[in-house]
Amino acid sequence: MDSTTLRRVRRVAATLACGVALVALPACGGDDPNPQSGDRAKGPVTVSGQNFTEMQILAELYGQMLEDEGYDVTQKLVDTRAVYMDQLSSNKVQVVPEYLAGIGDYLNTQANGPTAKPVTSNNVEQTLDAVNTLAESVGVTLLEPAAATDQNAYAVTKEFAEKNDLTTLSDLGAAKLPVKLAAAPDCKDRQDCAKGLREVYGIDITEVLPLGFGSREGKDAATGGEVQLVQVATTDGALEDDGLVLLEDDKGLQPAQNLIPAVNSQWLEDNPDVSTALNELSTALTTEDLAELNAKVDVDREKPADVAKEYLEDQGLLG
Amino acid sequence: MSLAAGVTPSPLLAADPPCYARSVNAWICPEYVEKYAPELVDATVQHVYLTVTSVALGLVLAVALALFARNRPRMRSLLMGSTTIVYTIPSLAMFSLLAQATGLSPTTVIVGLGLYSLAILVRNVLAGLDAVPDEVIEAATGLGYGRLRLLTRVEAPLATPIVMAGLRVATVSTVAMVTLGTIVAYGGLGNMLANGIDDSFKAQVLTTSVLCVVLAVLLDLVLVAFTRLVTPWTRGVAT
Repeated sequence: MDSTTLRRVRRVAATLACGVALVALPACGGDDPNPQSGDRAKGPVTVSGQNFTEMQILAELYGQMLEDEGYDVTQKLVDTRAVYMDQLSSNKVQVVPEYLAGIGDYLNTQANGPTAKPVTSNNVEQTLDAVNTLAESVGVTLLEPAAATDQNAYAVTKEFAEKNDLTTLSDLGAAKLPVKLAAAPDCKDRQDCAKGLREVYGIDITEVLPLGFGSREGKDAATGGEVQLVQVATTDGALEDDGLVLLEDDKGLQPAQNLIPAVNSQWLEDNPDVSTALNELSTALTTEDLAELNAKVDVDREKPADVAKEYLEDQGLLG
Repeated sequence: MSLAAGVTPSPLLAADPPCYARSVNAWICPEYVEKYAPELVDATVQHVYLTVTSVALGLVLAVALALFARNRPRMRSLLMGSTTIVYTIPSLAMFSLLAQATGLSPTTVIVGLGLYSLAILVRNVLAGLDAVPDEVIEAATGLGYGRLRLLTRVEAPLATPIVMAGLRVATVSTVAMVTLGTIVAYGGLGNMLANGIDDSFKAQVLTTSVLCVVLAVLLDLVLVAFTRLVTPWTRGVAT
């Protein structure tokens, strides 16, 4: 808490100082020599990412790992991937937490147009190879993917699962039960949503209600019996609280959305120890861990910085 | 640390979650304000800084542009038209475009909001200068005032009430618009507000919104007080 507050105070001070020195200083961001860190001081690094719970936690995890290595970390979370991607390519941002297929699809449409053939699949290795090639062409290197993956997933209520003996999506298809699905508005024609569920699993979806991805409304519709199936995230930490269980994607319908650090290639070359630190974190982080961290922030309203620190300490990743 | 906030002193019972927890999710939650005080203070400081610098930048630009254009009818309409067009650029596009040049920095937000404030400020600076009576200018010229002295000693003071009226509108609207800076990571209270909306975190939404309103009122009061201070001749004169 104290170090967090200090860091935040320092960040605000840096912001103010930056403003005063507005145009004069090209390397604004608090790269002043840090006497406490002594010979461990390694210069500034900016961690960006999208501004929602899971990415806030990941940005804190990456940031605290880097701080532990002696870097002076500034965090800048933004609205969309499009805002930080150019900054990452041009080394104004050095590190971003990403989703493997998420960044892959983005880079693919950027490079090859909106109708480009997808390079991502359920296979992590193949997807990583394909996405790495695209990333390198814009000056970005992907490090090791974590086991943790935030994919679209489909949940039913505990009672519904027990009554019909369901654990996988194949079970649901084989049960020949007519179901209504609450999902994102674009679900109907998507291969990773209603279309794929029908074609790959043979699930009899009678209606798709556009109640949003993992939304409160969708979950309430499921627990209230208006729909039987609801689209959520694999890392949703509140499912148990809501009385919902995930059905396993046993035929690999969803592309690999493993959490993965994206780093500016040039900067990584100058700071090779970064990959060791971040890969160490990726090795530890599982989907269950991430769901638990999300729940602490979304359900208990803990601060991402505190939640991240506690996790890193529990895993023995600091120091 | 968390001891200070607790409603229930019994840590053994897991019941009674704090009012900011999702199971309670109260709009008004003093425990939230207590727990998040450091973040709220940081965000408010950033919000004030972004507002003040944006409006200051807007005012400097507006005065310069208005002085240049005021005796040039074509420039005047061009200036009015172009500042209005700038005002219609969606903030999402504005900040994303500026971020290409100035990066994820306060500068991006300050330049963007400074440009927006021109739509209000240029008009009021021109209106303020227009409102200086011709007789006064003639009298001052007759007394031997040069261009610069006429501007600083006669026109500027007489234009002040109208310019300040514009500055008040610009400031209050900028307090609201700073929140959009969250697009490029510098939105003051907007960063927390946007997160609160995304996570249906009611205490955070209400607290940051109230702080925005309070901030707008306070800054407005400061400007009113300042105007009264620098234009003593307007006091006590009923209109």
